[in-house]
Amino acid sequence: MDEDILTTLKILIIGESGVGKSSILLRFIDDSFDPDQTLTIGVDFKTKRLCVEGNNVKLAIWDTAGQERFRTLTPSYYRDAQGAILVFDVSNHSTFSKLETWLNELDTYSTKSNIVKMIVANKIDKEKREVSREEAMNFARRHQTLYIEASAKTRDGVQAAFEELVHKIIQTPGLWESYGSNVQLGNKDHEKEPSSCSFCGLV
Amino acid sequence: MDYDLPTGFDLIIVGTGVVESIISAAASRIGKRVLQVDTNNYYGGHWASFNLEDIQNLKQENNIDLGKQFPKNLSNEEDFIPLGNKLKCFPYFETEWHIAEEDSIDVLKIKQENLNGKENVVLDEGDKSKLDNDKKEHDDCADKEEDESVVQGEIEEAKEVEQNLNVSTQELLKKDYRKFVIDLCPKLHFARGNFVELLISSNIARYAEFRSVSRVLTWINGNIEVVPCSRSDVFANNKVSVVEKRMLMKLLTSIEEEEKSATVPQNTTFKDFLKNKKLSSNIIHFVLYALSMSNDETIWLEGMKRTKRFLGSLGRFGKTPFLFSMYGSGEITQAFCRLSAVFGGVFALNQQLHGIVLNKENRFESLKCGKQNITASHIVMSVGAAPVSFFKNPTSSLISRAVLITDKSLMDSEQEHMTLLLYPAGNKLITILELGHLTGTCPKNVFLIHITTEGSSNPKEDLEGCVKNLFAFGEQDSNPRKPKVLWSSYFSIPNTNELDLKSSVPSNVFLCPGPDLDLDYDFSLEKAREIFLSIYPDAEFLPRAPDADEIVIGEDPETATEVRASNSNLDISKDTEKSVEEERAIEQSSETELAIEARASCSELDTPSETDNTTKDALKEVEECAEAKENMQ
Ligand SMILES: Cc1cc2nc3c(=O)[nH]c(=O)nc-3n(C[C@H](O)[C@H](O)[C@H](O)COP(=O)(O)OP(=O)(O)OC[C@H]3O[C@@H](n4cnc5c(N)ncnc54)[C@H](O)[C@@H]3O)c2cc1C
Ligand SMILES: Nc1nc2c(ncn2[C@@H]2O[C@H](COP(=O)(O)OP(=O)(O)OP(=O)(O)O)[C@@H](O)[C@H]2O)c(=O)[nH]1
Ligand SMILES: [Mg+2]
Repeated sequence: MDEDILTTLKILIIGESGVGKSSILLRFIDDSFDPDQTLTIGVDFKTKRLCVEGNNVKLAIWDTAGQERFRTLTPSYYRDAQGAILVFDVSNHSTFSKLETWLNELDTYSTKSNIVKMIVANKIDKEKREVSREEAMNFARRHQTLYIEASAKTRDGVQAAFEELVHKIIQTPGLWESYGSNVQLGNKDHEKEPSSCSFCGLV
Repeated sequence: MDYDLPTGFDLIIVGTGVVESIISAAASRIGKRVLQVDTNNYYGGHWASFNLEDIQNLKQENNIDLGKQFPKNLSNEEDFIPLGNKLKCFPYFETEWHIAEEDSIDVLKIKQENLNGKENVVLDEGDKSKLDNDKKEHDDCADKEEDESVVQGEIEEAKEVEQNLNVSTQELLKKDYRKFVIDLCPKLHFARGNFVELLISSNIARYAEFRSVSRVLTWINGNIEVVPCSRSDVFANNKVSVVEKRMLMKLLTSIEEEEKSATVPQNTTFKDFLKNKKLSSNIIHFVLYALSMSNDETIWLEGMKRTKRFLGSLGRFGKTPFLFSMYGSGEITQAFCRLSAVFGGVFALNQQLHGIVLNKENRFESLKCGKQNITASHIVMSVGAAPVSFFKNPTSSLISRAVLITDKSLMDSEQEHMTLLLYPAGNKLITILELGHLTGTCPKNVFLIHITTEGSSNPKEDLEGCVKNLFAFGEQDSNPRKPKVLWSSYFSIPNTNELDLKSSVPSNVFLCPGPDLDLDYDFSLEKAREIFLSIYPDAEFLPRAPDADEIVIGEDPETATEVRASNSNLDISKDTEKSVEEERAIEQSSETELAIEARASCSELDTPSETDNTTKDALKEVEECAEAKENMQ
């Protein structure tokens, strides 16, 4: 059933607490929105299939599990991610100022030097706006990231954000092809036929 | 914008080592409110991994006295016991480069020095300092240590440079410093060992990837030989005669019967036991030092047990019984921490821990962390964080470690191997791991070597003989087959697994041992399980966590029930004494992942009342968390 899947991509969603990371995820996976969305605990990662230009890819989208609050995400959270969505809240300038730190964080911990980054300006439905499109786009240009304006509430930009990110990842050579030959425990395919290679089945 | 930590936890965990993190995951998993803190700004404590830059900084950090990590500057009236003891330190730590720092200009400089220095190598003290002064004048990057070994090293580098101009430089390696993942305490996993089974049964395996060790080597009669791990290995081995092959096969295939039928005294060593079997010395070596990883003093039953463990893990994943975690052993602690966080555990690194407050009954009451006083019913701490008064005798044996970066494999071949080399040294066994870039722990074209043994005095002395036999430093060694050492580090870590961690400790405080000499995590896992079950005697230890795909945002009621069911192997029925609150917490555990999102569809929920109630309970929990969040801001 998974045969038509080109590849599985690991996508991170990062940014300050409360900017709407989980809301964007919820909108994308389930096309719903919860105005009373609370502090994230218990969300690990979600998977969804996406078809971009005829390529079927499976996305594993990792939420922060609340570990961003005290800045204690583990380096392994960043490990092997092909794409990162950096979210800020347009109605709260300090969440935008923190993007620099998050980009540093990505540079420090991401294991793929060409990881594709996208800045998502969230909550554009709100009337009070503290970060202008221009300011944010300049920042994105300076850091060579993709940029999109979105609202998890109105669904503006959410689907497009993921599609563009995946599009860019697939275009980036060497970013998503897998090495193979690593062992995933619990994956029966990775186990050998019993006794094919041991002393035990010899006699 | 420093957040305050929430307070009022079920369990506080101080330290992020393997044992602590397993307990953290297990407790969060059954719905306990867990806070895990560390004084370091990195995960893992003595189990951590570092890149090439950070490990060199560690050297300095280690010189900082414990008073800074565990400040005691609160007023004297406070009735608290300060945390921290010397088991948190590295009794020995050094790192050293063995190659030229920069480009060819430096190389020329060193050549120049080489000319000056050649005759001076064996001069007395006075002349050496003259040489040092000399060197300073020439050398504008004189931030190197100026002991004789450096001078010596540079001279040799220069010789080597003369012969081979494209030798690597420090600059080249430093550019790639982040590609190094250097474990303080590298571990392997037996493919059918308890740890691997736990990773699978708890579904924590999804956070890590593994590589199988592709060959086991041993040091025998001054040479490196392949240890046969399969029938084809045995037959391909041209160092073993046909007769010996038969003897080995016979022993290995009938080890169960051997054990039952053997009539030898209990205290016979495994070595003597094998000798009595009239096995050849080669075979004895393979079985004793490699397959069973014993030493000359291991008693025979233990040796048999270990041999069986080796054989029992063969043929599951790769050619050998061992797996190694991609990107280093530090990933393992992080995997458990992630699971803990996913189930609501709160993490805070880089914390100032002043001490703990005990009540009149000598029970733990609260932890002084920064300006806060955080309460919990139980506290678990790494052995190095514990107050000195918790030990009868806080001295431990040591683990001696060396880490080398080398320019080629111990035994070259077309394909890259991940190698375990077992090196017997009298009544000690030295284990050596060679990691290539496919393990994700070092860049291409170099190898990372981990050497571990029981420590006696100074890791450098403990390992010197072995290192000199296997590796070359500059040109002093004429054997071109030996890998050249580009960088080295020697350090020792306290081995706490034989300390008494119980008798002087309050009843709701639990101490976790640090790293040990075992190849695997089985000892740590058993300790973690033991502590967990002491705190929560009737709870299940790390039941399977649901898959990401099973947790779907915006759950509809039907699937919600399904996930709950698949998850309901939490047997709390036996525990009649549990408070309502604790029960709610346990229920919440299986609901956590739903609860968060259940809000979305809450109003549409049209489910049997039981589900409804538990969901509501869970929601209450989430609301409390939200309150906590507000308090934090
Ligand atoms: C997501 C994440 C994961 C991390 N994981 C690790 C790790 O696994 N191991 C490790 O050694 N270090 C990790 N760090 C770094 C470590 O937590 C910080 O370096 C440390 O907390 C800084 O402490 P400080 O007292 O110097 O600065 P702080 O006083 O904590 O911070 C100074 C200021 O910068 C802000 N700030 C600092 N870092 C960030 C950030 N990344 N995002 C937003 N604001 C920030 C703070 O809010 C504050 O206003 C991580 C950081 C982040 C953000
Ligand atoms: N108006 C508006 N509100 C939004 C939008 N996206 C999220 N929110 C609200 O912002 C709040 C925080 O959203 P979350 O998705 O929980 O944010 P988060 O980044 O996941 O927060 P943590 O999990 O605490 O890190 C919630 O109350 C959301 O309803 C949006 O596009 N517009
Ligand atoms: Mg969230």
